[in-house]
Amino acid sequence: MRTYYLLPIFLIMFSQQAAAYLDPGTGSMVLQGLIAAFAVVGFTIKSYWYKIRAVFGKTSPQSLLEENAEPREPE
Amino acid sequence: MEALPSSFRDPSGFVFSHSGSIYRQVNRSFANSFDTFLSSGLYDTLVRRGLLVSHQEIVDGNFPRTADCYKVLRPQQIPFISYPYEWSFSQLKEAAILTLRIQHEALKHGFVLKDASAYNVQFLNSKAVFIDTLSFDTYVPGTPWVAYKQFCQHFLAPLALMAFTDVELSKLMISHIDGVPLSLASKLLPYKTRFNFSLATHIHLHARMQQQHSDAAREDAARKAKNATLPEKGLRALMESLANCVDKLTWKMPKTEWGNYYEDTNYSDLAGNEKRALVDAFLEGIPESLRIIQDFGSNTGEFSRIAAKHCELVVSQDVDPVAVEVNFRKSLASPPANILPLIQNFSSPSPAIGWGNAERASFLERSHCDALLVLALIHHLAISNNVPLPIIAKLFAGITRWLVIEFVPKSDSQAIRLLATREDVFVNYTQQGFEEAFSQNFSIEKVAPVPESERLLYLMRTRWV
Repeated sequence: MRTYYLLPIFLIMFSQQAAAYLDPGTGSMVLQGLIAAFAVVGFTIKSYWYKIRAVFGKTSPQSLLEENAEPREPE
Repeated sequence: MEALPSSFRDPSGFVFSHSGSIYRQVNRSFANSFDTFLSSGLYDTLVRRGLLVSHQEIVDGNFPRTADCYKVLRPQQIPFISYPYEWSFSQLKEAAILTLRIQHEALKHGFVLKDASAYNVQFLNSKAVFIDTLSFDTYVPGTPWVAYKQFCQHFLAPLALMAFTDVELSKLMISHIDGVPLSLASKLLPYKTRFNFSLATHIHLHARMQQQHSDAAREDAARKAKNATLPEKGLRALMESLANCVDKLTWKMPKTEWGNYYEDTNYSDLAGNEKRALVDAFLEGIPESLRIIQDFGSNTGEFSRIAAKHCELVVSQDVDPVAVEVNFRKSLASPPANILPLIQNFSSPSPAIGWGNAERASFLERSHCDALLVLALIHHLAISNNVPLPIIAKLFAGITRWLVIEFVPKSDSQAIRLLATREDVFVNYTQQGFEEAFSQNFSIEKVAPVPESERLLYLMRTRWV
C-alpha cells in the first residue's frame, strides 16, 4: 500500500529524465516566467472585462486553442 | 532495418521504412510515458479532433525491431512529405496553431509537448496534422516549457519575418535546420516590431536573454535553468499569449505578376474552359490508376483541381508565394481538397539538408509521381533559365511515368515577353526541337492544339530504358 503512494514520485522522476532531449536554453527558461506573469495579469483583467460584458448579455470570444473555437478566416 | 535519416534526435524511438510503409518503434526507455499517454485519453482526443495521426500497433513478433524495442506502430501514412521552407505563410501559421492546440489539450491531460519542431507537422490533403506520436511527456507541475525556444525558432520567428520583412525569408529554414535563430530574427525584423508587445517579448527580449545567459558562467546558467519555475496557470497563459501572437500575424499579399495570372492570361474564358477539358480528357485517358500527380508551375492550382479528380493527391508546386498562398486558402474548403500546395523554385529546388545531407530530403528525392502536369512552364525553364530541352526531358523522365505537357512556341505572347529583353539564342526551341528532345525519353501518346493559341498539349509516356 505504501509503495502505491510513491508511484507519482517515480513517475515525476522518470519523466524528468525522459523529457529533456532538447536544450531548452537558460534564457528561454527564465524568460517564460516573466512573460507568463504579464500574460496572467492580462488574462485576469480580460476575464473580469468579459464578466462585466456578460452582465449586459454580450458573449465573450473563446480561446483559439479550444476545440470548439470558431474557424479563422485568413485575411 | 535502419532508422530514417531524419529520425535520430529523440531517444524515445525512431521511424523506419519497411516494404514501402513507414513504421515507428517505441523504445523501452519511453514505455512508461507512452503507455500513460495512451491510457490518459489524450491520444484518443487528439486523433478524434484530427490533430494527430492515428496508429495501429504491430502485434506480429517477427516484424523487424531492434533489441530495445517496446512497441512497433504503423502510423497513418503521409503520401507526400513537405518541409516548412516550402510552405506558404498560412500553411506555417496553421502548423503553429496546430502545435499550440496540441500543447493546450496535452496540458488538460497532464502532458506536455517535449518538442515543437515544425518538421513534426505534415499536411494530409490541405490539413495540418501532427505526426510525432512520441512527442508527449508527463507534465511536471511548476516546470517551464522545454520546447518554448524551439517553438519561437521554428514558427514565431519565420512567421514574423514573413509578415514584417519579406515572405521569402521562410527560406532561412533551409540554412538553419533548428529554426531561425532569434538573434538573427531580431536583427532582421523592422524596428516597429519592438513596439508590438508579443514580438518584443517572444523574439527581441528572448534573443537578448539568450545572449545574456550564454555569456554567464556555465554552472550559473545550468543552475538558473534548473531552478526556473512556472506555475501551470502561467504556462497556460504563455500558450494563450503565443496563440494570440501567431493569430495576429498577417501577411499582406502583394499583387505580383503571376498572382493574378488567371485574370491576366492571353486566352479567353472559352479557350480556358476548353484547355481544362483537354487536360481532363488526357488524364482520363491514362490507362492506370494514379496515386500522386505533381503539378509543376501550378500557379493558384486551377489545373490541380482538375487533376485532383484523377488521383489520391495532387502536389501543386509553384515558385510564387502569392500563388501558393491563394492555392492553399482555396484548398482549405471543407472537406479539405486533396491538393498540397507548395512553394518550389524549379531552377533551384529544395536541397537535401541536415546531418549527412540526409535529414531532410531534396525536392528530387521526393518528386516521384505517377503523372506530372507541366502547363505553361516550359518556356520559363528553357528560355528564362536557359535549360536545354533534352535536359528538361531527362529530368521529367526520372520522376514520372506519365507527362501532360504544354509546348509554348516562341510566337506565343507570353514567350515574346520573355524574349523581349534578350537575344534569342534558342535555335532548337521549336515544336520539332521539342518533340525530338522529349522523344529521347518519352513516347508521345496524344497531341492536341490548345484552342485560340499556338500552343500544343501533349500526353507522353516515359520510355523505360
